[in-house]
This record gives sequence, C-alpha cells and structure tokens, in this order.
Amino acid sequence: MTEITGLAHYLTVAFAVGLPAVGVGIGQGWTSTAALDAIDRQPSAKSDIVKVAIFGMALIETAAVMGAFVSMLILYNNWDTPPSYYASLSTIGIAAAISIPGFVLGLVSAMPARAACFTVARQPFFTQKILRFMVLTLSLIQTPVIFGFIVSLIISSQAQEVTTMRDCLRLIASGISIGLGSVGPAIGLGLFARSVCLGLGINRRAYDKIFSFTLISQAIIETPIIFALVISVMLLFVVPPLAEENLIDGIALLSAGLCAGFGTIGAGISSGRTAAAAGTRIAHTPETYSLLAQTSMFAQGLIEASAIYPMIIAFALLFLR
Amino acid sequence: MNGLELITDKQWSVGYLFNSQHPFFNISVHTITNTWIVLGIILVLALATRWALARNGIVRYLYLSFTRFFLDLYNQSFTSFSMTHFCFIASIFIFILLCNIISIIPWTEEPTTDLNTTLSLGIIAFIYTQIAGIKAEGLWSYIKSYFSPFFIMMPLNVVGKLASVISISFRLFGNIFGGAIISKLWIQQAISGSLLLELFGILSGINLILTLFFGVFEGFLQAFVFTMLTLTYLSLAVQGEGGH
Repeated sequence: MTEITGLAHYLTVAFAVGLPAVGVGIGQGWTSTAALDAIDRQPSAKSDIVKVAIFGMALIETAAVMGAFVSMLILYNNWDTPPSYYASLSTIGIAAAISIPGFVLGLVSAMPARAACFTVARQPFFTQKILRFMVLTLSLIQTPVIFGFIVSLIISSQAQEVTTMRDCLRLIASGISIGLGSVGPAIGLGLFARSVCLGLGINRRAYDKIFSFTLISQAIIETPIIFALVISVMLLFVVPPLAEENLIDGIALLSAGLCAGFGTIGAGISSGRTAAAAGTRIAHTPETYSLLAQTSMFAQGLIEASAIYPMIIAFALLFLR
Repeated sequence: MNGLELITDKQWSVGYLFNSQHPFFNISVHTITNTWIVLGIILVLALATRWALARNGIVRYLYLSFTRFFLDLYNQSFTSFSMTHFCFIASIFIFILLCNIISIIPWTEEPTTDLNTTLSLGIIAFIYTQIAGIKAEGLWSYIKSYFSPFFIMMPLNVVGKLASVISISFRLFGNIFGGAIISKLWIQQAISGSLLLELFGILSGINLILTLFFGVFEGFLQAFVFTMLTLTYLSLAVQGEGGH
C-alpha cells in the first residue's frame, strides 16, 4: 500500500512541473528561432524584434512557473506526515489539472509570439501597437492554465479529507475535466492569435477592426473551457462527499469528467480555425468587417453547440442517474 | 525551514469583538505591514518628486518620460482624454509595480503573494469599470449588453465577466507567488547548510539573477499585464466594442 502511495504522490509532483516545462521549453525555442529569422529578414529592426521576443518568452514562462508552484505545494503540504492512500491517489487530479493545460499552453503561446516577431519585421514603425496587441492576446490565451491552477488548489485543499475511493475518483474527474477540456480551446486560441498577429503585418490600417474582433472572438472561443470549468466546479462543490464506499458512483463521476473534457476538443479547435480565417480576411479587406464578423460569430455559435451536448450528458451523469 | 512558512503567516483575529470566530475577520499581519511599507514608499516618492521637480533636471526628465509612457499607452485605447481614468490606471500600475518588487528590500515580502491583495485589486478594477460603463452609456444599454448578441447568452456573459476578474487576479497572484517561492526556496532551502554551495550561489551571481528575474523583471511584466488588461476592459466599457 505504501509503495503505491509514494509512487502516486511523487509522480504527481514530477508531472505537475515536468510536462509544462517541456511545453514551455519547446515554445520558447520556437519563439527565439522566429526572432532570429525575423532579424535576418529585417536587420534594422533588431532591437524592436528582440524586445517583442523577450516579452513573449517571459509571458510563455507563466505555465512553467504555475506548475513549479503547484508541485512545491504538493511536496511540502505533506512533508511532516505521509499522506494517506486515498489522499495521495487524489493528487493525480492535480497533475491532470495543471500539467495538460501547461504543456499545451507552452506550445500554443509560442504561435502569437512568433507571428508578432515576423509582423515587427514587416512593420517596424508599428512596434508599440504590435507589442501591446501581442501581450493582450498572449495573456488572454493563458486563461486555461489559470483555471487549471485554481482547480488544483481546490483539489489539494480537499484531498486531505478524502476517505473513500469514490471521493478520490470525484477529485480525479474534476482535474481531468478541466485538464482535457482546455486542450482544444487552447489550440483554437493559439491559431486565432497567430492569424490576427500576422494580419497586423499584412495591413496595419485594419488595427482597430482586428482589435475589437479579437476581443469578441477570444471570448467566444473560450466558452467551451467555461463549460469544462462548470463541470469540474460542480464535481468539487455541488456533488456531496459520501462516507460509505460506492465504486460505481465514482466511476460514473469519472465518466462525467472525461465526457466534459473530451467534448470540448473538437469544438475549440474548429471554432478557433473559423475565427482565424475571418481574422485573416478582415486584415485583407477591412471594409467587409461587419459581414465577416457576423458570419464568423454565427458559425462559432453553431460549432459550439456540439460542446453543449457532452455537457448535458455530463450533467445527467452527475445528477440524473 | 519549511516551504509552508510562506503560506501560513500570522493572523490577528478581531472577530472576538462581536463574538465571532469566522476567518473572515482575521487580519493577515504580514500583508498589512508590507502594504503599509509600499504605501509609505509611494507617499515619500510622491512628495520627494514634487519637491525636486522644480529643482533637479534629472528628476524632471524621469517624471516626464514616465508620464509620457502612460499617456501613449492611454491614447492608444481611448479617443478622448479623461483625467480620472488616467489617474486610476497609473496608480494601479505604480501600486502593483512597487508591491511586486518590494522584496529587494531585506526583511520584506511582496503583498501580492497574498491572494486577498490581488483579488481585491481585481474587484476594484472590475467595479470601477462597470461604474464607468454605466456612466458612459446609461443603465439601460448597460443591462442590454448582457443580453447581446442573443437573449440566451445572458448566463454566459455573466460567467465571462466574473471569469475575467478571477483570471486577472489569479494571474498576478500565481506568477508573483511562484516566483517568490522559487527564489526563496533556492536561497533558503536548496543551498543552506552547505557553505560551499552558499558561497557558489553568492559568488556566481545565481542568487542575484534569480532575485532580479523573478523580483524585478517578472514584477514589472505582471504589473504591465494587469494594467493593460484593466485598460482594455475599461476602454471597452466606456466606448463600446467598435470605438477604437
């Protein structure tokens, strides 16, 4: 029993910081490659490109810093007394909640940073606005890792009181729901941010239109993450903990988490691609802004209906059995 | 030495005045003291700048370049100048920046490593934004904005607004807290006890680099991000979505 306890505990500690660090490392490498390419293309804008790349890389770092914080929290939380069997198994939920979004976010946040480097090479006199735009899109992209961070803090505060396998599965399901649920929307947000950052390089007179379109579209692309967050908060607070063991109940809760998590992947990616295409077209022809924005929002609304069906099933698995 | 020392600090309970043991009435001593230190530094800096403005060219240059930096930032988002909004944004930036880099003074901790500080900053920014939006567009169109583009989007709009508060404050908290834990654990725990390693940390400059990166650079960056997001939400609320 104790070996499994230690294995789960220390593997969680390792994974919570390891996977985000891999993603962040690859993303920062891509960003610096893009910065060097951009300097090669436009050597006179060297200092501007370096400034944008450093800001981008420092923001990409967020995922790794959060992962390091969570793994230190798990490590030192149970330093004096060894954790119980169920408490240490529940920390797998923490690993899922912070490591999957951290890994994906590390890779994905490199997209707007790379695009911004190339855009500065094309429009060197527009650096201030490009930098501001990149910081804004990059920090909005990182909402999923902050949700994962909040959920893992709540799981680590609840894991101490877990005494049954059913509650342990409940906490793991909550982590899996937000962890898997943020993969698709994060990729969609990255694709969209890359296309609008490149769009600024194509046509800087479209800045105002692209800016307002970005804020609306990122809110719509992020909607599936909010569905997954709702399910995981329900699992943490609304579903009551039970004193007696009920394994079938726990497996149903785990399925609810998996269902909500997997349901958002396709919707997130395709919603992001739709908005990315619309963003590129707005950069080419800013005068058709209202038509393009309406069509894109309508299409995104239809696409995200497919993320609502898994959420309904997850609700049914939670409450209507 | 324990990593938990950063998390559980001393609490003063004032709930006994009205017979309550609820943690809502607890006062976190570290946070309050460090916030007062930050406020004192801001006050001294402001008075000193006002005194030196007419006497010293370097101070005048620094003051003007700081103001111009903010004016540029402001004018990129707003079409018209408003002194109230400008002062609000600039004071948020100065306060968060000093809160984040205060730990370079010995025996202090960043007040932003406490979730209460960042969450209250987020709530202040949110309420200010909503009131500015109501003043600019009227109560009716403010309520109507919750039901756009369709009527059934109302719950999603409400959740989205609340999620913006949570994400803005947890972003600041997580980054600063993570950085503080990493640099403090490295200095206090990983290399303490071995004289060789401590000497290596001091002489090679790793301690200094960690403190400078996580204290100063990350602190400036996160203060900038918080200010930028608040500025964007404020400009959206005041001039609508198409008003850039």
